[in-house]
Amino acid sequence: MNPAEQAVTQDRIAQAKAGNAEAWGELYRQHAPAIFRFCRRAMPTREDAEDATMDIFIKVRQKLSQYDASRPFSAWLYTVAANHCWDLLRRRKLRQDLETGEVENMPLEHPDPGQLEQLIERRSGQEVRRALDKLPARSRMALVLRYYSDMSYDDIAATLGVRRTFVGVVLLRARHQLREILEGQGGASLAAGGAA
Amino acid sequence: MIHFDEMACLLYLEGQLDSARSRELSDHVKECAACGDLLHALQHETALLSSALTEDNESMPARLISERARSMPPWVWTLAFGVFAAGAYWFWNDGIGPWFDQLSNAGFGGTDLFSMILFSGAFWEGWGDMIDVMQIGALILVAIVAIGWIRRRLRRPVAIAMVMSALLLALALPQPAGAAEVRRGQSISVPAGETVHNDLIAAGASVRIEGTVEGDVIAFTRDLTVTGHVTGDVIAFTQEALIDGTVDGNVRVFSRGVILQGNVGKNVSAFGSSVDTISKSNVGGGMIVLAGETDFDGKIQRDLLGMVGRTDLDGLIGGQAWIRGGSLTVASSAEIRGPATFEGREQPVVQAGAKLASPIRIEILQEMQRNRRSTARIVIRAIFGYGGALVVGILLLIAFPGFFRAVLRETGSIGLPIGIGALALIAAVFLLVLGVLLLFVGVGAGVAGLLAYAPILYVAQVFVGAWLGNKIMGEPPAVTSAVIARMAVGLLILRIAEFVPVLGGLVLLAVFLWGTGAVLLGFYRMSRVESAPVPA
Repeated sequence: MNPAEQAVTQDRIAQAKAGNAEAWGELYRQHAPAIFRFCRRAMPTREDAEDATMDIFIKVRQKLSQYDASRPFSAWLYTVAANHCWDLLRRRKLRQDLETGEVENMPLEHPDPGQLEQLIERRSGQEVRRALDKLPARSRMALVLRYYSDMSYDDIAATLGVRRTFVGVVLLRARHQLREILEGQGGASLAAGGAA
Repeated sequence: MIHFDEMACLLYLEGQLDSARSRELSDHVKECAACGDLLHALQHETALLSSALTEDNESMPARLISERARSMPPWVWTLAFGVFAAGAYWFWNDGIGPWFDQLSNAGFGGTDLFSMILFSGAFWEGWGDMIDVMQIGALILVAIVAIGWIRRRLRRPVAIAMVMSALLLALALPQPAGAAEVRRGQSISVPAGETVHNDLIAAGASVRIEGTVEGDVIAFTRDLTVTGHVTGDVIAFTQEALIDGTVDGNVRVFSRGVILQGNVGKNVSAFGSSVDTISKSNVGGGMIVLAGETDFDGKIQRDLLGMVGRTDLDGLIGGQAWIRGGSLTVASSAEIRGPATFEGREQPVVQAGAKLASPIRIEILQEMQRNRRSTARIVIRAIFGYGGALVVGILLLIAFPGFFRAVLRETGSIGLPIGIGALALIAAVFLLVLGVLLLFVGVGAGVAGLLAYAPILYVAQVFVGAWLGNKIMGEPPAVTSAVIARMAVGLLILRIAEFVPVLGGLVLLAVFLWGTGAVLLGFYRMSRVESAPVPA
């Protein structure tokens, strides 16, 4: 976003804070598609994503006065969205996925770079999205936060409630799970003992 | 050569390694093809992930496209709570208040309704035990909720330890004494000379109490005869009941025919086709009667409250009398020592010689007036009922938006929720029977569980109304006021539809089935455990 656009956004935020419905409507129209897409990636179903998007914007509107203008608005929006979605998923008692110890202690087999390249080349974006839907919630959420919302490790750690040093493990573990699901659609095992 | 592992490579690509380690890896990659290949593969994987995630492959749903961002206008709140307050005021003044007054008139003393019903034992002493059980149940429920809350913040062993401690604590709580002698059979008898040193629960074709029961008698039978002595209460569900002995406590009888010939120390509540007290009978307290016809020939030391088709009064009423029904005849031998009120369609007949403390206050119910008044009442009730439902809907929407939308989505399936609602209704009837049985053996948990069905039944209309509103006005944008507006329209249509003869009843039934099914499905969806997939 260039400085002029940023200035417009900040102006709209200020007006929306003051109760200007039109300004809020503009903000909504500007950001709703991205937040819906984020929810679509993070939540298991389209209906869940729709509900979450609606709830997030209701929440954002209520919390608008808390927004710190020194931060990018979209980053704050994603933080609210991520917290909301993660809270919803946690409420659904994804217990096995929340136990950090299990993942921490799980050995990750080293991939064969050649086979990994092959796998990546063979798979389309749609196949990857389908595989993402099959991931455990935390793994999916970690990938979405990092590679869709471009969140920092600090923010991801805060959202998921894990230590910062553990974020890399979560991401790597998620990638391995994703590869296994993609492999399941055909292909050989990646863990063929490459460089170790 | 020592290689870098995948974790280090990923952190390097993500810019998460410190500068020294990053330089080390960068230098290593220049000489190590394997690590270089791995870095490239990971980089490609990142690119694939990013593009897959950011590709705009799905259009925005219609209901999210138009956001008319308006906060809920203050007048909606004002109106809603105004209507709600008016409804509550009306409900108290027109519903609870007069009922309470009538019960007071009938000799049920007490400073307030709850203490009267629950603590003075006016209806049944077992309420005390039941309240204990309900309180324990509520405490355990609160504990489970608290543990659930803690569970999210603590690791599993701690949570398990807490749950186990709570269970042990619950088990250690003193259990309400539930000892009672239970007798079943074709013909159950406590013969003269026998003494049962306990409560007696009897179920059979006929039950005869000729001896002594030192406790309550609870009977499920066709014929109940009490000629002996019961030191507690008599509670009976029968076809015919004859109380010819002495009951020190209360008598509560649901029976086609009730004949009272003996002495009752406390109060009598009788519900049946005919209820008669014989001249030698004596009731130490008051009497409540709901019956087709009655002959009061005996003595009632305190007040009489009766809703009876035909009443013949020959005996004594020591306190006030309030009778509502078709006709009233006061014989010459009758005596009423307190003020008497009769509400009915005919003038009461008071024979010469009847002793009355004051002339009977008479309210003749004029059909025309009543009809007009009741029509107005129905309309007022519908308006307040509408307001109440709307407020409940708004509160649900504000407090539990996720749940609200989940239920609304389930409502849209139509067939499935109606089926589930019908099943729930059958289950509720079953629970009602079970609850009544449990009530009389001193366990209130079943009844408490059953009470949960009532609010679900009430909120059923909210979701069907909201669904209807959406159908008429279109899917609402993501603002609360739009959802409320649709709900208001839908509920209004339902209220109007209920006024249509025959169809109204069907609409009501459909709404209840449909809505309860949707609410139950909503609960299910909200609480379902999503299992993590096992990679192939």
